[in-house]
Formats: sequence, structure tokens, C-alpha cells
Amino acid sequence: MKVKIGLESHIQLNTKSKIFCGCANPVNMKEEPEPNTVACDTCLGLPGTKPRANKAVVEMALKVALALNCRMAKETYFSRKTYFYPDMNKNFQITQYEIPIAEKGSMESAGKKIGIRRVHMEEDPAKLVHIGGLGGKHVLVDYNRAGIPLIEIVTEPDFTSPEEARLYLQKLESILEYLGVYDSASSAVMKSDANISLEGGMRIEVKNITGTKDIERALKFEIMRQGNLIKRGMEVKRETRMWNPDLGATQSMRGKEEEAEYGYIFESDLTMLEISTGMVSAAKKSLPELPDQRFRRFVKQYELPEKVAESVISELDLAELFEQIAKRVSPKLAGTWISGYLKKTLNWHNLRFRESGLRKEWVISLLKMFESGRITDRNAEMVIRYMVEEKRPPEKIIKKHSLGKAALDLDAVVKKVLEKNKKAAEDYRKGEKKALHFLVGQCMKETRGQADANEIKKSILRLLK
Amino acid sequence: MDYRKLEARLRTLDRKYSFFVTIARPQRLRDKGKLSRFLVSVKDCICVEGLQSAAGSRILEGYIPPFQSTVVASVLGEGATIIGKTNQDEFGFGTFSVNSGYGIPKNPHDPGRSCGGSSGGAAGLTAALPDDILHIALGQSTGGSISCPASFCGVVGLTPTYGLVSRYGLIDYANSLDKIGPIAKTVKDAALVLSVIAGFDPRDSTSIKREPEDYTKGLDRGVKGLKIGVPKEYLGKGVDPRVAKSVWSGIKKLESLGAEYQEISLPSTKHALSAYYIIACAEASTNLAKFCGMRYGASEPVRDSFNEYFSRVRTKYFGEEAKRRILLGTYARMAGYRDQYYLKAMKVRTMVIQEFKKAFKKFDVLAAPTMPITAPRFSEIEKMSPIHQYTMDILTVAPNLAGIPTLSVPCGRAKGMPVGLHLMGDHLQEEKILRTGKSLEAGK
Repeated sequence: MKVKIGLESHIQLNTKSKIFCGCANPVNMKEEPEPNTVACDTCLGLPGTKPRANKAVVEMALKVALALNCRMAKETYFSRKTYFYPDMNKNFQITQYEIPIAEKGSMESAGKKIGIRRVHMEEDPAKLVHIGGLGGKHVLVDYNRAGIPLIEIVTEPDFTSPEEARLYLQKLESILEYLGVYDSASSAVMKSDANISLEGGMRIEVKNITGTKDIERALKFEIMRQGNLIKRGMEVKRETRMWNPDLGATQSMRGKEEEAEYGYIFESDLTMLEISTGMVSAAKKSLPELPDQRFRRFVKQYELPEKVAESVISELDLAELFEQIAKRVSPKLAGTWISGYLKKTLNWHNLRFRESGLRKEWVISLLKMFESGRITDRNAEMVIRYMVEEKRPPEKIIKKHSLGKAALDLDAVVKKVLEKNKKAAEDYRKGEKKALHFLVGQCMKETRGQADANEIKKSILRLLK
Repeated sequence: MDYRKLEARLRTLDRKYSFFVTIARPQRLRDKGKLSRFLVSVKDCICVEGLQSAAGSRILEGYIPPFQSTVVASVLGEGATIIGKTNQDEFGFGTFSVNSGYGIPKNPHDPGRSCGGSSGGAAGLTAALPDDILHIALGQSTGGSISCPASFCGVVGLTPTYGLVSRYGLIDYANSLDKIGPIAKTVKDAALVLSVIAGFDPRDSTSIKREPEDYTKGLDRGVKGLKIGVPKEYLGKGVDPRVAKSVWSGIKKLESLGAEYQEISLPSTKHALSAYYIIACAEASTNLAKFCGMRYGASEPVRDSFNEYFSRVRTKYFGEEAKRRILLGTYARMAGYRDQYYLKAMKVRTMVIQEFKKAFKKFDVLAAPTMPITAPRFSEIEKMSPIHQYTMDILTVAPNLAGIPTLSVPCGRAKGMPVGLHLMGDHLQEEKILRTGKSLEAGK
């Protein structure tokens, strides 16, 4: 069944201050501030206050628009989107409507060109805290979030599978991190709404999908749900649904007849923003090397296999770590280890390299030991795991967990194993080659992987002579 | 000055005329500053830190701003004494100040008549206070709310160029139209206040970056050689002939002082009224969305969903006219109507601006009646339909849409009630209309 998906992603930018007032931007704070302590008269929407636009938000939005190959507006405006909701300080949101800052861009994702319909700026509403869950009696409002700058990036309905949507979001996240406008390790959030339709059904909007991980789950659920309806000959009606990550399901929010009507008008408290060619060229100049460029460079300069290069560049931290390590050990080794064991361990702990407490020097000295044959492949992986858990240099970890090669009397272990497995030893002598594999495996088990398989083999052959 | 006596005097006045929503505890005068001898009243929609600022609406009862508006900070900085918050049509929605949640201000020339609106309390108080009390009112205009009451009460009302005076701290009616300006006994006082409150304010993005100016300086330069345009649409049908007569005598007076006048045509004027009401109501309907009994002002016990709660508070505490304008404005910006109303009105607005710009290439100022009538009796107002009331703004909305400065100066009386002559100038040409107004005043 044919599927069409388009995404609208809202990203909290990491500007120093909020979008329409002088309050600090809470996404940059190490710890989440106490509720309503980073909120001023404007954040509360008190009568008499006026918004004033933060230039840094415009500059960041321009960078994003350039990275997504968009066409910039020459003049752009803010608008009021009016709807009543308790998280809205003014019961309207200041956003962009008619003329967004940029339109008509594109992004290469997983070998496919994804159309970017528009990029615009807006303010985040306050946060509602439901005491006793969604059905609880009380709701508290935290205005710390009110006025955090958001950019909204809207794609064309160019995705044909949940996986494509996920790959796009991951790439988008990595571009935003390269641009330095968003930090996934901070409290900043990327939230997406997906529009999805199956052949023979109406378009369904799924709201509230956080981050890059849930998108695939949410869309898969929706395809299954809509597919089942269509199979059973039922109608897929146009509606807005909400993704509930705890249930792993989408829930109906409102039907077409209840579709929100926002009555957009211009926000006349803010003046027209002129996007001069000077601003655009300044933004262009400030663009860093972006993931695609870095990928091509890594493949060329370090001769990394494409798969490895892609994995290394996908996270800004790792790409930078790689370049530093590649100066000290073989780039291929660095690439394989970073994209392999290191990434696996970090993902397991759900950490970014920067947050892991790992030091670049530790990784370098571990890889040097491996390069010179002082530690086995399997043990080196364990050292990485222990380094993340214990936050200590590799030398100390190897000593503590006795993971080095030198500490081992291999022949003694092999003798012990042969003693225990007399039948297998006999079989090998009779010419059964498989028995050797079994014996090597037993020795590996006995040495807890500290020994190298080749060395074990040599020792077995020697002792069986 | 004895402040207890002053307060008592203001309270006595208020009992009779309902000029105030809130009378302030008198503060000690600062000795220094351009306004150190002045009492200043502030229209209720302009925030005064620590003083209830309700914009004449019951829904904002109890709202005490924790911050100071820029204009109030400016006058306080020049030594002024704030005496209270003046009565007005709720959020500025009206021409006669009969739509207030706090009583109806009465015209000191005839308490059976309206002060005009929406800055009715400001103009009425200015007219009622004796000459020995130096007083200036801070008013606010969206579509004529400074000029109209100034005209009805026989005082001077100055509506500055949009953006010349900071709106920070103003409870919005229609953000693209709102202007704060003085209402005073004399042109000189108005010019003095403008010199204090005009200026760039980073807290208001629409504020114009400009060097401060002393508007009292060129006041006595006279009108010799000044070119005055008299738009014929402003003196035609619908204008009380006695008002027209009084205005013409004012224009002739200026001519006798050396000015030249010529009749011109401003054909866009007839579209200005509809465009004004669409834009003003569209903006107002979004501005009023925030009043829902959740963060400040009136509230009710919560017993149902937020939607029902918001509706209950808004139904109970908004006045009729506020509800009417919310409905009008919401309709004009809804999908399906937006293009033919809101966006079209924006285009008309551009047309009106261009027409004025063209006129000011030829003329220094334009002169017209401020209002087509003199202050009506309350019994007459009761008989007017809302649309009829809206048409009373026909002469003031065009310059307000264009954001040009205007000055209403008393030019005589018709049937015993004051008549205002409306002087309109090009953007930032306050100096010209003030000088013309001063000549007219001196020629009385």
C-alpha cells in the first residue's frame, strides 16, 4: 500500500535569550530551573507588555534556511495565531504565516531529495503540568517555556516509509547540531507533527512526536491502524491524532469539523523584518562545514569506507573526536572503533560522547594498545564499556579487570582445557578439524576473552604434538 | 499644594462627573523637571505601576501592573504628580465614553451631554479643573479617541505620529493604530508634554529612532505663508452646519493671520471608516483573547473545563460593545472572509496613506472639523444604533489610519457647546500643527 508522509518539526533554538523578551533561554541551563523563575511580564503576557524580536533567532533561522537550500524572503513578518488554550499567555501565539523567513528548500536524505516547504520562527507556549496525570484535577502552568524560540521546518509529503522519515529527522538533527543552533544533549526539544495518508484514505495529522526515535514507531502504528481500517472496508476520516509514547499508540484529538481556525493577522507590535543581502551573506560566511561536506572529506582524506564515514559524521561530537584521534592512530582504526564499539556503548547508555565523561586521550591510548597488539579486540571493547561506567583511564581499567594480554600464562590454561576435554583432543588427533574450533572456544571462555584466538590455536597445536 | 485637599476636591468632582476610574494617593511633588508644577491624569488603559489599570473594563478590575509604562516613567522623571486613572470607553471602544465599566463621564459644559470618547474622562477633567490647577491628561487614540473628547469638551488634544511616543505599557486596543498623546488646556501645555513623552524606546519595536525635540520652541512663529488644505469631504453632508460654520470661521482666522487655504479632495475618506473598523476590530479581537480570568483581573470559581471557564468569565465581565467588536473582528479575520475583509482593509489603508502623502506635498496642514457634531445628549446617544455611532468617527479615522499627527483645537461654539477644529500634519510634522493651533488659540 502506498504511503505519503510529510513532517512539521519544531526545534527549540539555543539562543542566549528568549525570542520576544530579555529572559535567559532555559534550554541552555544545566539544571531545569524552578517553575516560573525564568519568566518576566512579557512571558506572562501581562496587559501593557510588548514583544521585541531577538535578532539572534533571525540569524539562526537564516543559517538553517541556508543549510536546507531555501529561498530567503526579502521581507518577513510575524503573525498572530489565535486559539484559546491555558498554555498560551496571550491566547495567541506569535508565529509566521503569509511570508515565512524562508521557503522552497531541499535536503538529501538517504539518497533521496526531500522538499522543504518552509522554515519559520515562532514562540513556544508555556508548559502545562498535569497534577495526577491527564485526567487529574489540577493543571499547573510553567511560564519558563513561554517564549523559548522555535523554528518550524515543514517538508513536502515526500516520505514513503516511516524509516525515511526517521532518517530525515536524524539528518536534520545532525545538521542543526553542526550549525550550533540546537543541542540534543541539552534540554532543548525537537517535536514533530506528521501528516500521513495511505492510498484510499484521508490525510491524518499525528501530533506530539518527540525526538528522532519515536517517529518510526508512531508512523508504523498509524500505517497499521489505517491499513486495518481500509482492509476492513472502513473509511479513514480526516482527523488530528496525538501520539502517546507510553501507550505506543495514537489517539484521536479532533475531527475535521473541529479543525482549529486560527484567524491569522499580522503582529503589528513587531515591525517588518528586512532580510538584506548583507545578512544573508553574513549567515553564509558563518556556516560551518555541514555533515554532507564532512562526509565527502572524510571519505577522501581518510579513506574511510562510506558506511563508517556516515556513521562518524552523523554526530558532531564523534566527527570531531575522530579527527583528533586520526592524528595519533590509523584513521581506519579510529573510524571503525568510533562507528562501532564506541557508538554502540554510548547508545546503550543513551549518552553523547560529550556527556559520557570519556576523554579523547583515553580512547587514543586504548587504540594505541590495540594497534600494538597489547590488548585483544574483545577486551578493548570491554575497556570502552568500563571507561564509560567507571570514568577512569584504560590503564587503570585493564589492571583492575586484568584485561591485558601479558598477565596470562596461556599454556597453563590450554593444558587445563585439554585435560577437561580429552575426547575432543582425541578427536582432533584423529583428524576431526571441528574439534579444534571447540577447544579454542573453550579456552576463550576460560580466559574470559583476554587471550587472542590465534595464540590459543598455536598453543593447542604445540601441546597436542 | 495640600494633597489631602486636592484629593478631596478630585473626589467631589468625580462624584459629580465620573471622570476617574481610580484616584491615586497624592504623591509629593518633585521640585525639578519640566512638569514639576503639573498634575498628570492618566487614561485608564495606560499602565501605572502599582495603580489599578483596567482600561475601563470590569474584566481587568484588580489588575495592578508590576511595571511602569514608558510615558508615565517619562512624566514622573520630569517631576509630574500622578493623580489617577481617567475614565474611558472599555478598551477604547466608543465615541461617547458610555461604554465604560466604571460609570459614564459627564461633560462639564453640560452634564446631560457626553464628554466624547474614548478618552472622555481625560478631556472632561481637563475642562473641569480651574485654571489655577496646572493639569495635563495623558490620553490615547486609536481612531480619534483624543481628538473627539477634546473637541466635545473644548480643550486641546494632540494625537502624535504613530511611533513617536512609546506604547510600552499601553493596554492595546489595536496595536497598529494606538497612539498615546496629551489632552491639555492649551497648545503650549500639549507641546510641553509631547516634548517629554516623545522619543525612541527599545521596548516598543514600532517606536521611531529619532532625536528628542522641544516642541514648545517654534510655537509662536505664526502661520504666515502656511498652506492649508481644506478637504471638501470633511465639510459636506453629515456635518452639522453650525459646526461647519464655526470651523470655517477658524480657517478664516488663520487666513487673516497670513495663512493661505485651498479646498481639496480626499476621496479615500469614504472607505476609511470601514477599513478602520475592520482593522481595529480584527486586532482588538486578538488583543482581548488574553482576558480569560486566568492570570489577572476578574475571575470566577473554576468548576468546568477551561473552555467553559474562559467563556463564563468573558461573558460576565466584557461589556456589550467589547463583545460586538470581538465578534466583528473575529469574523473579519476568519479563513474565507480574511481576504475580502482584513486583507482588503489593509490595502485601503495603504491607499489612504498615499492620498495624505500626496496632499502633504502641496499643503503644510489640512484643516477640518474634528467631529461632525457637538457633544450629544445621553438621551440622543441611546437612540443611535452602533453603526450610527461608528459613523460619528468619519472625520478622525482617516488620519488615524494613516498614522499622521492631528491636533484638535477649540474654534468656537455651536449652540453653546464647544467645537473643535482638526489640524492634520504629515508624519512627524507635529511642529506645524502645533504652531497653527497656537495661532488659532491666540487669535481667539
